[in-house]
Amino acid sequence: MAPKRVHIIKREEGWAVKKQGAQRASKVYTSKEAAKSGSKKLQKKGHDIIIHKRDGSIEEWRKGK
Amino acid sequence: MDPLKNGERVNNFNFLVMPNSYDRNVFLNCPFDKDFLPLLKPLVFTVYRLGFNPRLAIERADSGETRLEKIKEIIESSRFSIHDLSRIKSSSINEYFRMNMPFEIGLDLGCRAYNRNSKYRTKRTLILESERYSYQKGLSDLSGIDPKCHNSDPQELVFQVRTWFSELGYSDLPPGSTVWDDYNIFQADLYEKKSQQGFNKREIDNLPIREFISCIENWIKAHSNNQ
Repeated sequence: MAPKRVHIIKREEGWAVKKQGAQRASKVYTSKEAAKSGSKKLQKKGHDIIIHKRDGSIEEWRKGK
Repeated sequence: MDPLKNGERVNNFNFLVMPNSYDRNVFLNCPFDKDFLPLLKPLVFTVYRLGFNPRLAIERADSGETRLEKIKEIIESSRFSIHDLSRIKSSSINEYFRMNMPFEIGLDLGCRAYNRNSKYRTKRTLILESERYSYQKGLSDLSGIDPKCHNSDPQELVFQVRTWFSELGYSDLPPGSTVWDDYNIFQADLYEKKSQQGFNKREIDNLPIREFISCIENWIKAHSNNQ
């Protein structure tokens, strides 16, 4: 089964950590670094963390552990 | 009658895929250079995602057809037009003022005003800029047309384009945040697919714009078939 994806996406108010398919973001952080740190637990649970640039393109794709 | 409820298909993602027609075509008059791509790409995606067909002068490579002929054909085939004037100002010494986009607005507004076919009276025009009312400094004849400002921010551009279609009376559009999130998901799907095909990150980031648009179109079609 493909790993579940979590996206770190630019929002007007900061950076959102959002599971793909969820209606709402799990949390919106004021900084991208904070969003990356906040997503580590999800990565340890096996989720791929997809970090987007401000323009939506891919900055980094962290495989789930 | 709400034009979005006219027997058209709704898919899993709850968006619509429209046949190619005058009432769904959107002429995109904007730069195609590398600096503008971070705005052009989400603009094209948003138009598709809202159920319309973006039309661009670069959409086909036919050396037997002049660029002006292509543009005239697109203008006459499109009820809607989006003109991004955020890059018409020269940005360095000795750089020329960029006149293609103002020229193409003129053609589009001229088609609406002077063409004998009454269907062109229904044309609708959106002007985008990066700084509020900045374009009027170079194109004051358009004073009175209310532009929308995206601040050169891709997410804001998505919201402004969505708002414009809403103001035209399309009431069943998805929220701007959904369109923006879907664009990010599309980017992830594209990255994964191209990586599997052997593309490296640099190649994916620099896909030719026509190829990128084709990927958007395929993504939209693929999701519309999941109903």
